[in-house]
Amino acid sequence: MKTALYEEHLKLNGRMVDFAGWELPVMYSSIVEEHNATREKAGLFDVSHMGEILVQGEGAAAYISRLIPTRLSKLEPGKSMYSCLTNEQGGVIDDLFVYMVSDTEYYIVVNASTLERDLQWFKKHLAGGIILDDQSARTSKLDLQGPLSRKIAARAMGDSSLEELPRFHFCHRDYRGKRIKISQSGYTGEHGYEFYVGNDLAPLLWRDLMEAGAEYGIKAVGLGARDSLRLESCYSLYGHELNDGITPVEAGLGWIVSSQEDYIGRDVIDRQKREGAGRELVCFEVTGRGIPREGCRIDKESREIGISTSAGYSPTFKKGLGMALVETGSVSPGDGIEIIIRGNPVAARIAPRPFYKYNG
Amino acid sequence: MSSIPEGIKYTKDHEWARLEGDFVVTCGITDHAQEMLTDIVFVELPEKGDEVKQGQQIAVVESVKAVSDVYAPVGGRVVDVNMKLEDSPELLNSDPYGEGWIFKIEMSSKEELDELMDEKAYAEHLESGD
Repeated sequence: MKTALYEEHLKLNGRMVDFAGWELPVMYSSIVEEHNATREKAGLFDVSHMGEILVQGEGAAAYISRLIPTRLSKLEPGKSMYSCLTNEQGGVIDDLFVYMVSDTEYYIVVNASTLERDLQWFKKHLAGGIILDDQSARTSKLDLQGPLSRKIAARAMGDSSLEELPRFHFCHRDYRGKRIKISQSGYTGEHGYEFYVGNDLAPLLWRDLMEAGAEYGIKAVGLGARDSLRLESCYSLYGHELNDGITPVEAGLGWIVSSQEDYIGRDVIDRQKREGAGRELVCFEVTGRGIPREGCRIDKESREIGISTSAGYSPTFKKGLGMALVETGSVSPGDGIEIIIRGNPVAARIAPRPFYKYNG
Repeated sequence: MSSIPEGIKYTKDHEWARLEGDFVVTCGITDHAQEMLTDIVFVELPEKGDEVKQGQQIAVVESVKAVSDVYAPVGGRVVDVNMKLEDSPELLNSDPYGEGWIFKIEMSSKEELDELMDEKAYAEHLESGD
């Protein structure tokens, strides 16, 4: 499948790859350059492959509260939060963002690869009076991220109030006669905005943002740098740090477990939060020579303790780093470990989470 | 278009080999290979004295996103490796046929070098999209 911005990517010499059935650029010119542009100036990402589901109805809050471990009442209209869908075993079906539009309307943003499964789950647990509207196919999503994103968003939209939009707040704005959603949030560790726009206006918005950002050094950024940026910030990626068999507590997301409602999987998750889980997610940096990758065995004093869930070269810190799921209590920050790369143990050290603190 | 200098030999896996003396060839990866990888951040080098067969995996080149094996264009004994690449792997991007050379092999048989592609054949190989 192609996003509405496919032609824009070709014009910018995007190197197109298949990602969850979508043709998207892994990079345009260089992952390192695109990564650094986002950290230092601004980057623009096409993440239109992601799914958007509108949940409407009098009982919308109760319905969603049954599906996520996070207290929904912490939201108010115009605010969003990170959470996940959990199964009966406490495992994660998908991670997602919930935007509260009103008491009867919530906008849920999910991963592309899990959209169909999420929809089935939402339908399976459907409550009376709830209307689900899968808007994914007609919605494009553009992420503008980086320390200069405030200026660029304000200029492109002709609205300086966007500079003051607080984190995890969103608003609706008129863009070329249509109502679009703008959220102050992102997946890079930088201040930034996520734009939800109809496919018809997506190429215009892309060009307007690129043009407004030209003098600030904006770059189009592909999936490669999206991954290296989120890795430095230790944001989970579904299918890596999270899956059906990993609970939010194991994944280091205990902070999103706050609901007192009777949500699916609560008994397992509550018990783990109270008593601890068998595994925990830790961060490591390579001190020897080598680039760690996903799926590498982790040893401590030659005993296997776990496996890396995401890992790679960090353009910001100029070394290999990653996250790993290990036996709980087997390591603490500062401890030496070995990561097995192509059969050879390479020295690494447990690091505090995250590597890169939110730069907002 | 990527650069394909004359007078050196190429493999289908995008290594190059340049005869330096009677039996010693300097080897690296081609401009096309470095363009495909982009942002090379790590090189795993062979050791001097290693004996390799033609086509045997001898080094590893890693970019931010990808891991790529490098194969010996000819068989023989590794007589030199470019240690500069340990600290400056980006030389593979900036100067793949010069400063970015990876290793030197003393050939056991010159025939193996003759079997490799010349610049014309390699250009056709790239055009065929392989």
